Amino acid sequence: MQRVLVANRGEIALRVIRACHDEGLEAIAVFSDADRHSPHVGAADDAVRIGPAPAAESYLNIQRVLAAARASGADAVHPGYGFLAESAEFAEAVEAAGVTFVGPSADAIRSMGEKTEARRRMQQSDVPVVPGTIDPVADVREAARVAADIGYPILLKAVAGGGGKGMRKVESEDDLDSSFQRATSEALKAFGNGDVYVERCLHRPRHVEIQVLADQVGHTIHLGERECSIQRRYQKLIEEAPAPALDDDTRARMGEAAVRAAESVDYTGVGTVEFLLLPDGQFYFLEMNTRIQVEHPVTELVYRVDLVREQLRIAAGQPLGEATMAAERDGHAIECRITSEDPFNAFLPDTGVIRYLQVPAGPGVRWDSGIAVGSEIGLHYDPLLAKLIVWGETRAVALARMRRALDELTIVGVATSQPFHRLVMADEAFVQGSYDIEYVERRGEALLETPAEPDQIRRIVVAAALAEHQRQAALRRRPPNHGDAAHQTAWLQAARRDGLR
Amino acid sequence: MKYTVSVGPHAVEVEIGQHWVKLDGQEVPARLETVGVGPLRYLTMEGSTTPMVVEQGGEHEGWTVQVAGRAWPVEVLDERAMQLREMARRSDGAPGGGGLVKAPMPGLVLRWEVEEGQSVGRGTGLVVLEAMKMENEIRAVGVGVVRRILVAAGTAVEKGTPLVEIGPSS
Repeated sequence: MQRVLVANRGEIALRVIRACHDEGLEAIAVFSDADRHSPHVGAADDAVRIGPAPAAESYLNIQRVLAAARASGADAVHPGYGFLAESAEFAEAVEAAGVTFVGPSADAIRSMGEKTEARRRMQQSDVPVVPGTIDPVADVREAARVAADIGYPILLKAVAGGGGKGMRKVESEDDLDSSFQRATSEALKAFGNGDVYVERCLHRPRHVEIQVLADQVGHTIHLGERECSIQRRYQKLIEEAPAPALDDDTRARMGEAAVRAAESVDYTGVGTVEFLLLPDGQFYFLEMNTRIQVEHPVTELVYRVDLVREQLRIAAGQPLGEATMAAERDGHAIECRITSEDPFNAFLPDTGVIRYLQVPAGPGVRWDSGIAVGSEIGLHYDPLLAKLIVWGETRAVALARMRRALDELTIVGVATSQPFHRLVMADEAFVQGSYDIEYVERRGEALLETPAEPDQIRRIVVAAALAEHQRQAALRRRPPNHGDAAHQTAWLQAARRDGLR
Repeated sequence: MKYTVSVGPHAVEVEIGQHWVKLDGQEVPARLETVGVGPLRYLTMEGSTTPMVVEQGGEHEGWTVQVAGRAWPVEVLDERAMQLREMARRSDGAPGGGGLVKAPMPGLVLRWEVEEGQSVGRGTGLVVLEAMKMENEIRAVGVGVVRRILVAAGTAVEKGTPLVEIGPSS
């Protein structure tokens, strides 16, 4: 394995390219017309255009990605996450072209990607699953029957789902009709399969997931958990490791269940088994993500491993190293996802050009991003701009460090989730570690209405008044305009522009 | 020079002198400096310095001040502008506008969930807007009647595009 085609964009493409270079491999980027000048294109050894901006005609187009692999002479393809990462068809096509797919087998992807099939397998492997239907429901009437049986609230979930798409929580029978319609239409559009199944909606569980690694010579291990309960509409916003609510016994049982889950599909590579955890220590299999996870850095920081390099080594046929097999957890890590969503406008996506960027740094701070000054943030792709990850000896140190790092971050040109994260990091419930997956739903609005500190308002007022005062003074300094083009020298224009700044 | 500065619900009078500002009847030394070529400024006031992004314009008239990741729209009026504002207010009686529901983000109008003439209550789903492959339902914020649907399903809209006019229920 020498040349790896990175079939993705944004922060994860850059992350994978860095890992390739650290492993001494060449990295080939792909890009759509919207990404021609993106940082991942510049970081790679070579880059191939794969089509216009819409993902369906570029990053999601198997034939075009394969053609790019052939054209660039790549001997491996890393899919990142999202796009084609969990497409069994893609994994198959890559292998059929004689190129190594950096990930599990197409069979493993298929078994876990079909949610109902995965539930069936987990039951057989003694991994607990959430009560509900094993098969997809035929229509809204059947969904109503099942719901009446297991009791509201229920979740409608796309059989082919992931990332919250095609998933709806239904509180009562009144909402079932419209939710069913929206879930199936979203699922059909996102995955080309409108089938949904029904699951009981557990009461305020936590989302805790286990990182697993499996090589091709029979070792399957886990590297502990990540707590990902801070979510909004099933999209994770903040993750941390270790989970504040997990005792060692539950952690061990969960880890063993995750390894069983991976082994049941002969899993190879890195993957994540997601569970819902109840306060009494009961946990239920949610799904397995057969790829690198967005939030993988928190595990990397507490276990001092490089999961993307592990992926590359496993794909090259190497056994898990001794250091990885014996890795022990140290300290605490937290990740905040910086997205182009405006928390003060109902988290709706914002668009714009990044005009200024100041990135946090210093001890224990990691910034994984796919943006730079000049990046155009549009609506074609996922709103994730960057991930801010910190490490500390204890959770308290990590929290303080995240507050400090968030204060250092300045992004101008597009509204981001940054101020929301700052509010969460100061919230008593979060600081205490007492939260569950309903945290944002129950606490989010109140947090966003936190009044600004009087001193901050004073400073904003003074800054704006001084800026306006300086602007007016500059206008008064301008000489009268004679309307004579001969007087408009470049020097004069530059001086006026300066005065107006 | 005196200015009236408004941030959200706060309206503060600020007087600016040579190297000081006066607010709440107190004079404090303050200065705002441009940093490098970017939009960053340092405000030094009451013994501490705060990095801020201070820019004119945006989606509103006036200034935008961004601090700790949050952008605040700020209106700054000098005395003359305040007088003009007062005169305009006196001559203009009725509140304008009416219930125009605008697109809160750019996206694709996927489908309408109401028809013209239909009565709506607070929370009634009006229209489904798709952005980044997620469907977002725009709901009514109060009671009323759907007067006019302004954009057909299947149309791509910019942020701020009027989508539907809601009138008072008769």
